[in-house]
Amino acid sequence: MVRFMRTVAPSRAWRLALCAVLCLPMLSCGGDGSTGSTGVTTSDGGSTGLSSGSSGSSGSSGSSGSSGSSGSSAPTGPNVASVEVDGGPSSTSPDVNTLFTTVTVCAHGSTTNCQTIDNIQVDTGSYGLRILAPVLTISLPLQMASGGGTLVECTAFADGFSWGPVALADVQISGESASSVPVQVIGSASFTNVPADCSSVGPAEDTVATFGANGVLGVGVFAQDCGAGCTTVVDNQFYYSCASGSVQCEPTTVASLASQVTNPIVLFPTDNNGVIIQLPSVPADGAATVLGYMIFGVDTETNNASGSQAILTVDSTIGDFTTVFNSQNLTTSFLDTGSNGLFFLSSINQCGSNLANFYCPTSTESLSATLQGQNGTMVAASFSVGDAETLNDNITAAPMLAGTFPTSFPGSEASTTFDWGLPFYFGRTVYTVIEGDTTKVGTGPYVAF
Amino acid sequence: MPTSQSIANVKKCLLAGAVLAAALSPCIADAGLGQAETSVQTDAARLKGSIKATQYTGYHVQEIQMPSGTLVREFVATNGTVFAVDWNGPTVPNLRQILGQYFNNFVAAAQAKHAGHRQLQIQQSDLVLQASGHMRAFSGRAYLPQAVPAGVSIADLR
Repeated sequence: MVRFMRTVAPSRAWRLALCAVLCLPMLSCGGDGSTGSTGVTTSDGGSTGLSSGSSGSSGSSGSSGSSGSSGSSAPTGPNVASVEVDGGPSSTSPDVNTLFTTVTVCAHGSTTNCQTIDNIQVDTGSYGLRILAPVLTISLPLQMASGGGTLVECTAFADGFSWGPVALADVQISGESASSVPVQVIGSASFTNVPADCSSVGPAEDTVATFGANGVLGVGVFAQDCGAGCTTVVDNQFYYSCASGSVQCEPTTVASLASQVTNPIVLFPTDNNGVIIQLPSVPADGAATVLGYMIFGVDTETNNASGSQAILTVDSTIGDFTTVFNSQNLTTSFLDTGSNGLFFLSSINQCGSNLANFYCPTSTESLSATLQGQNGTMVAASFSVGDAETLNDNITAAPMLAGTFPTSFPGSEASTTFDWGLPFYFGRTVYTVIEGDTTKVGTGPYVAF
Repeated sequence: MPTSQSIANVKKCLLAGAVLAAALSPCIADAGLGQAETSVQTDAARLKGSIKATQYTGYHVQEIQMPSGTLVREFVATNGTVFAVDWNGPTVPNLRQILGQYFNNFVAAAQAKHAGHRQLQIQQSDLVLQASGHMRAFSGRAYLPQAVPAGVSIADLR
């Protein structure tokens, strides 16, 4: 079986690993939705190993050699935004399997005090728009906390934190506009005194280089990043009040959900109940660029209708579902465009060194798993795991990129998670419907594909 | 708070040095992994949490319930050393606090090349650490293989 065909440039492993650091998730599953089978052979001789779930993805466009969502099903309209996998903001250490779009932010009510920002990561694993302060050239009004100080937020990741104030912006994405959206400005020079409870969750990710993007657009199943907990709990670890000139920021509630950093989609006047991510299939040996679509709303326009997709409802507080893999129920599994590979615990050889925790099997592994919603709906998905070290140097989309996922607790050597990252989205049309919102076929939070 | 803790910190540092030979780095942390059990009180205060203790054969568990909803557990050997910690909940706890001196290892690993923002793993002879999660759902664990009490298996922890 032919794996990755070309030789690996020495710099590749370094770049990929660095990218992995910068980018969000990783995971790869891939799939050719139209065939629903594994082992598809690509035209350039590579063996794909990735295939999509048996349930089938509808509406996915055909694959092309190196890019491109093309074909007859290309959606059009003001609710359609272009998305792409192209390496992101750094030409020297490009991101792998990281999905980007472009947003325009304006001071509220202004049509001139605006800025269009590209390389904004599209992330179904978080909620709300966050922009890196060094990128922002316009001034946005800061939100005040109930105590009178500026409202400043700590966004935690498993490997670090992003600190910065909450500002109000009018947000435009393609033809959709949301007014007065609370967004986070990460790494603002005006707020450098990070509370210990924030800085003590890991290193700072507050520059374009450490963040891997100019910002992140969190379009997952929830409307706010924190939610109900932060309306009543002072020590919520998300929000702080920073008085002007004060050396210390104090934890604070944000009593109104509407004042928390908010998924901009829910503030669109229409097409506000969810998002559809549609990406083409990617050849097994990867692609330099992948172009796809982010379609706003579900069952609100002719171009975003629900079809025969399987609907998997997810946990109403954390957004997870169950994956059955290797006869184990992985109850905290999730779909995540912000993960740059497929991550799950397996005995497949790990790469080590610069690609720590990625898999490097001696030959492509063809595997399958079953995704199970809280509603009991089950969908099988086939996927393949390739050798992360043999990716060609110009590849930014790698459908077979996969790695381990940690165990969760002492007392268990088993993981409870299957992190279905961006490779799962290749060759699929994936619906993400927001909590409490309805479509013709269900009520969120749910995912469908 | 920093002022009132400074003296206690020195004490804990000395104690930790005696208990854990592997404690090579300066005592910059208040408490946590590798420290004496008394540090659990410090951790709970710092995390603004309430404590519940449960006894098992060969060790006991101190649970710290944080206001955010995250549960932190510290596993204490009969000799009083915290040999393992874990956390699970909507937020990441103050890891500098509960990892103690090993927080530096965590930061170094997080700044090194690794797979994505959703996870971090350290596998060393003297430290095992695994952290993972996404917004609203984080978990992790860390333990000191050489400090696990005789007769206790990490796999037995509950």
